Amino acid sequence: MVDEPKAVHDVPGDFEQVPIVWRYELLKYLRSKRLLASMAIAVVVLSLIYILPPALGTPYSGTDSNRVVSLLSGADVGIGLPGLGDTVQVGLLNRSQIDLDTLVIFVNGTELPSGGMNWTISKITYQGQSAYAVVFLTNVTGKVITASYEWFTSPESFESIFLNFASILVVICATFFGADALVSEFQNRTGYLIFPNPMKRGTLYFGKYAASMTAGIMVMGLFYVGIAILSLISARGIDADFGLSFLFSVEYLMAAMAVAYLISTLLKGTTGATVLTFFLFIMILPIVDSIAIFTGAKFDASLTFAAGVIGYILLDPYPTDWTQSFAGFEFNNFYPAPATAAIVMLAYAAAAIAISLVLFKRKQLAG
Amino acid sequence: MIELQNLTKSFGEIKAVDNLNLKVPTSTTVGFLGPNGAGKTTTIKILTNLITATSGRAYLNGVDVLTDPKKALSHVGAVVETPEFYPYLTPVETLSYLGSIRGMNSKEIARRSNEVLQVVKLEQWRKTRIGKFSKGMKQRMAIAQALLHEPDVLILDEPTTGLDPRGMVEVRETIKSLKKLKYTIFMSSHLLVEVQETCDRAALIDHGRLLVYDSIDNLKGLSKVAKIEVTTVADITDSLLLKIQGMKNVRAVERVNGRTLVLTYEGAYEQRSELLEAVQATGARVAGFSPVGLPLEMMYMDLVKESR
Repeated sequence: MVDEPKAVHDVPGDFEQVPIVWRYELLKYLRSKRLLASMAIAVVVLSLIYILPPALGTPYSGTDSNRVVSLLSGADVGIGLPGLGDTVQVGLLNRSQIDLDTLVIFVNGTELPSGGMNWTISKITYQGQSAYAVVFLTNVTGKVITASYEWFTSPESFESIFLNFASILVVICATFFGADALVSEFQNRTGYLIFPNPMKRGTLYFGKYAASMTAGIMVMGLFYVGIAILSLISARGIDADFGLSFLFSVEYLMAAMAVAYLISTLLKGTTGATVLTFFLFIMILPIVDSIAIFTGAKFDASLTFAAGVIGYILLDPYPTDWTQSFAGFEFNNFYPAPATAAIVMLAYAAAAIAISLVLFKRKQLAG
Repeated sequence: MIELQNLTKSFGEIKAVDNLNLKVPTSTTVGFLGPNGAGKTTTIKILTNLITATSGRAYLNGVDVLTDPKKALSHVGAVVETPEFYPYLTPVETLSYLGSIRGMNSKEIARRSNEVLQVVKLEQWRKTRIGKFSKGMKQRMAIAQALLHEPDVLILDEPTTGLDPRGMVEVRETIKSLKKLKYTIFMSSHLLVEVQETCDRAALIDHGRLLVYDSIDNLKGLSKVAKIEVTTVADITDSLLLKIQGMKNVRAVERVNGRTLVLTYEGAYEQRSELLEAVQATGARVAGFSPVGLPLEMMYMDLVKESR
C-alpha cells in the first residue's frame, strides 16, 4: 500500500521550523503596529514620569541653600564615636544623594570647614529612609546650623519610581502579544491555512511563543534602556541591582505570556481572551493579593505578588515584612522574597506552557 | 494515494463520518459528493490534520495522518473551505513562509511563487497585503499555496466556492491541467457539473457513509430516472397534465410554460419512447423534446433520496 512519494523537498526538523514561525509572527507584531504601540506606551510613560514630578514642583535634583539642620543626639540615629560615645550631635540632611564636594556647613552663618575636628559625614538609614548624617565633632549646642549643597535623587530611588510601572508594561505586552496568539488561528480561520502543513502544533506554539517573548523583551528592553539613560542623567549612575530587576521583569513576562497563551487556548474569541488577560493581571489577581494581605496571609504563590520583586530588588536593604496596628485593625505589608518570587514565576511559566500546549494540540478546527 | 480505512468521527451522539472506506489511486482525480452535513468536510478535515478521528485510519501516500501528520502531509497540498490568510503578509511572503516550512530553498520559492501566482492570475497583486483581497482572490491564493511545493496529492474542499463564473472556469481548467500532470486529486464539491467535468471517479456519501464509488461513466448509468422537456403545438391543459401524471413509469410532471412541460420518468430509451407515444395518443401534438438534467445529477438525487 505504501507509495513512494516524490522526494522533492525535505521538510525541516521541528527545531528548524521554530525560527521560521518566529520570523513571520514577529512580522505580524511589527506590521500590525502592536509592537509600535507598546513601545510608544513605554516612551510616553518614561516621559511622563520624568517630566511631570519636576513640573509639579518635585524635581529629581537641585540645590539646597542655607537649609536649617535640626540637631539630634547620636543615640537617636544609632551613631557613636570613640571617645564621644553616642552623645555626639548629629544633623540630618534628608536627601537620598548629595554631591559632597558641594556641601558647606554654617554655624550661626559662618562656614564651619570640614575635616579636622569640626564635622564628618556618614550615610545612614533613619526611619526607613536613606539620609546623610553630619556628625559634629565640636559642640554646636544652641547654635543655628545651616547647610548648602547640591543634591540629586539616588539611582535606587529614581529607578524605583519608573519600575512601579514595569509590571503593568509586562501585562500590556502579554495582552498585545499573547492573548490572541493561539485563539486567532481558530477564530480568524487562519488555521485552515497553517495546520494542513507538515509542521507539528508544538512547533507552531513555540515559534509563536518565541515571537511574543521577543516582542515583549524589545518593549521591556526599551523601557529599561530609557530608565538607565535617564538615571545616568538625573541620578548620576545606575543602581547595582538594575540588571537583576530587568531579569525579573523578563521572568515575569515569561510567566504572564504563558498565562496569556493558556487563556488563548481556553477561550473561543480573541476579544474575550484579550480582555480576560488584561483584567486578570490588572484587577483580579491584585484583588486576591489585597484580600490575602488584609487577612494577614502572605500569598507567596501569587504571580502578581511575586512580580513585586521587580521594583523591590533595587531597595537596599531589601524590605522586610511588617505589621502595624491602628484603631483595632492590623495593617500588613508583605514583600516577596527574591528567591521565592523567582521560583513562583518560573513555576507559573512552566505550568501554563505545559497545559496550554496540550490544549492547543488537542484543539480542533471543527467549526 | 489516499486510503481511508473504517474512518469514523463522532461529535457526541452524531456520527459525522461512519466507518468510511475509500481508496483514491495515485494519479486519479476523485470527486467527493454529498449533501450538506453528509460528512465531506469532516473527512477532509481529518485528512488535513484539522481534526482527529474517533477511530479508523487515514493514509496519505501510505502514512497515517492520524499518527504522523507531519510526514503524511509533507507531499500534500490542501485547500480546506475558504482559508483566511495572515492579512499582514503579501502573497509572496505567504508563499515564502509556507515554502520555508516545507523545506523549499529561497530560489525554489521565488521560482514556484512566480509560477503559481501566474496560474491563479494574482501576479499583479504579488506585493499587496492579503488583508485587502476579496474572497475570490483569497480562494485563488489558497489554490496557489496548495500548488506551491508541487505536491503528489491535492486535497481540495469545494475549491470554486466564492469564485465568480470566470474564476470557477479558470480553477476547473487548472485542475484539469494538474490532472494531466498525474496529480492525485481528492476534491469535494457541491457542483456536480464540476465533478463530472474534472474527475475520473466520484464517491457519494450521506450521513457519513459511502453510498457509491465508481467511475463517472459508470455512475451516470446508475441513474434510474431521467427527465425530458416536451414541447407541444397547443397549450397544455390541466387534464393533459393529469393524464400524463397517471402514465406508467412517470414520477413527476411539471408545466414550465404554456406549451412546455418537464417529465420525470423511470427507465431508459425504451421507456422514453413508450411515454412519448402515450403522450401523442392523448391528442397532444408533440412538437419536440429534449433530455434535461445531468446524468450525474439524476444519480445523485436518486441515491441521496434512497439513503434518506
